[in-house]
Amino acid sequence: MSQGQAGAEQRLVTPGMTVGSSAGKRAGSGIIAKENDFIATQLGWLRERNNTVSVDPINAAYMPRSGDLVVAVVAEVRNNLWFMDINGSFQGLLPMSLAPWKVEFGAARQHMDVGNVVLARVQEVDECHNVVLTMKGVGLRRLNQGAVEPVPVQHIDRLRGENNAHLQRLRDVCDARIMVGENGRVWIDASLDGIALARKTIRRLVAEGHMTTFDSILSDIESNKKGDA
Amino acid sequence: MVELVPALLRQELNRLAEEGTRIDGREQWEARDVSLETDCLYNAEGSAKVVMGGTIVYAGVKFELRTPWPDRPTQGSLMCGAELRPVAGRKYEPGPPSPESIELGRVVDRGIRESGCIDMESLCIVPGEKVWGVMIDIHVLSDQGNIFDACGLAAIAALRTAVVPAERFDVGEDHTLQVNGTPIMASFTRVGGRFVLDANEHEELGGDERIHITLGDEGHLHSLQKGLKGVFTPAEFAEIFDVAQKRCVELRKMVAKTEGN
Amino acid sequence: MMGGYGDVKLLKDDGSRLDGRKVDEMRPVSIQAGVLPAADGSAMVTHGLNVAVAAVYGPMEAHPRKIQRQDRAVIDVRYNMAPFSTSDRIRPGFNRRSREISKVTAESLESVVLVERYPRSKIRVEIEILAAEAGTRCAGITAASVALADAGIPMRDMIVGVASGKIEDTVVLDLDKAEDNYGQADLPVGILPNTGEIAFLQMDGDLSPEEYELAMEYNFKAANEIHEIMVEALQRRYDGGEA
Repeated sequence: MSQGQAGAEQRLVTPGMTVGSSAGKRAGSGIIAKENDFIATQLGWLRERNNTVSVDPINAAYMPRSGDLVVAVVAEVRNNLWFMDINGSFQGLLPMSLAPWKVEFGAARQHMDVGNVVLARVQEVDECHNVVLTMKGVGLRRLNQGAVEPVPVQHIDRLRGENNAHLQRLRDVCDARIMVGENGRVWIDASLDGIALARKTIRRLVAEGHMTTFDSILSDIESNKKGDA
Repeated sequence: MVELVPALLRQELNRLAEEGTRIDGREQWEARDVSLETDCLYNAEGSAKVVMGGTIVYAGVKFELRTPWPDRPTQGSLMCGAELRPVAGRKYEPGPPSPESIELGRVVDRGIRESGCIDMESLCIVPGEKVWGVMIDIHVLSDQGNIFDACGLAAIAALRTAVVPAERFDVGEDHTLQVNGTPIMASFTRVGGRFVLDANEHEELGGDERIHITLGDEGHLHSLQKGLKGVFTPAEFAEIFDVAQKRCVELRKMVAKTEGN
Repeated sequence: MMGGYGDVKLLKDDGSRLDGRKVDEMRPVSIQAGVLPAADGSAMVTHGLNVAVAAVYGPMEAHPRKIQRQDRAVIDVRYNMAPFSTSDRIRPGFNRRSREISKVTAESLESVVLVERYPRSKIRVEIEILAAEAGTRCAGITAASVALADAGIPMRDMIVGVASGKIEDTVVLDLDKAEDNYGQADLPVGILPNTGEIAFLQMDGDLSPEEYELAMEYNFKAANEIHEIMVEALQRRYDGGEA
């Protein structure tokens, strides 16, 4: 149900609400068990799949996990590392050894300075929420052009679609290169018109996502585009 | 807290400026939707709420009885202050009033004071003994760009709808505050190398200096302020001054319309 | 003559209150969620003539370091009355009253937010009172709860702020300004509507054990009513009005 959910069939729950009996079921994210009941802990849409009851939150902060692809912004440069803003509670740290270049001690700034935007991956998150990033890997690089658009993290699965089908349609209709960061940031590289169209489409997904499917929003944009041509 | 400015944002704003458009699709001199509501706060003697795009501010007017200054025994006083509290955005931090909030309050204050719309003599009750002190407090609840214009509009609208609470202070009957004019502020921010009207939060983040112009009913200048790092040319000022004239007329009409209701 | 301040009469001969309410009737309450675009979550609560707005930011790294907790998030609450919110203007800035309310409000919110999910973090809750007519701390707690839910912060329950008190030796629900000024007791509480627990408690004045029981009974009844309005506000924002 994470794709194309239709709002009308779903139940919106609020924190503290008893959402049903816990008998024979597992508590997923956004749910705690109390005595024989399940209690919602977050505002969102109630979901039951594979015997697990969970809440698809309407708003959620980005919680980094190892392996996440993220769009990060350099926040601070030291002699041998960079601190990056990853749209989470804590900054991520990129050590010199995990940069895509051979960096001399003290020369970090020559490669990336404050404000630079990069595509990186989360290497490790420890129990104290310290985040280590890496830029060693295919496609990980400094992003020298294009634009960054925020997307609430709970919308990212729908933006991508099954096997990235939605994302590919969005790329086609906007004639854009688009990379989706798990951390709620989407990088768009296209003409100004393409960027504007991608932004508009993504904002519609965020605003109407629980009432309309992204599929129908995309179809709408695609037919408009054909109409213009 | 100093906000991080992504290099890609500045680059995109430059590109948009070259093409003559803006990050939210507006034209250079196009403002966002504005809404104005007055008399919206119980306990304030005059009040207004302004919404400009995602920016939301409230202004409230309070009165106090005070002794006049010895050198101006027949004059009341006017004070306008702004609070930029942490409620307004992630970048705002708790603590004593920041230079930013002091600047904001003072720029709005100057525009209203220097326009002469409040006749200080009219605030006198007993010369040398009792005068009204008028206090306008502006409260920014959500900063999504151009809080100066929103604050200026809220302040004058609250003032123009204020009722002097004479009965509560036992000095006569309640009456509307006499306000002779509607000074209005128009603000411009350099974004992608050129000035735009009514910048939003992305344009402010990736932009440079700003210029605030407050104009009276006759189109006269009453307050000017240049803020943030940057310089501008007389030709640039001449251009935005023309735009400011039109913008102020529009917003002044909006204030008049609200009063009419 | 037991009215605290002598001969101010707060109950009419028919037993109703000056504004026409019955003793166990609360003032009208309306709530909107998501009112501040700049915030991660927000709400506006109108309770009688009180207007409270709450904004939530975070979770974010707790600064300064000394407030960090290694095992959980801290909730950083600022309750503030706008200068124009009261009859006499309030000078801007913190005072002892708002500092105390901020502290106990933060502690009550920490009792429902799943703070252990966010070690070393803080969640900022900004409560701004735009208009005050007795009961602002309760309206603030209600607004903060809706704003936290709106921000997607996990909580085991929301908290509803309600108050009862005593006027002319009679227990009444939800004191208005005159009743608060000239009444004999005020009992503001923060109730968890689903669990029936109490996370916020203050009281001043004079109540007998029986009066306390009745005041609490009124508070619980009102908490359930307000909770429904809170849930409706959140559903209205995201569900296009259909719950």
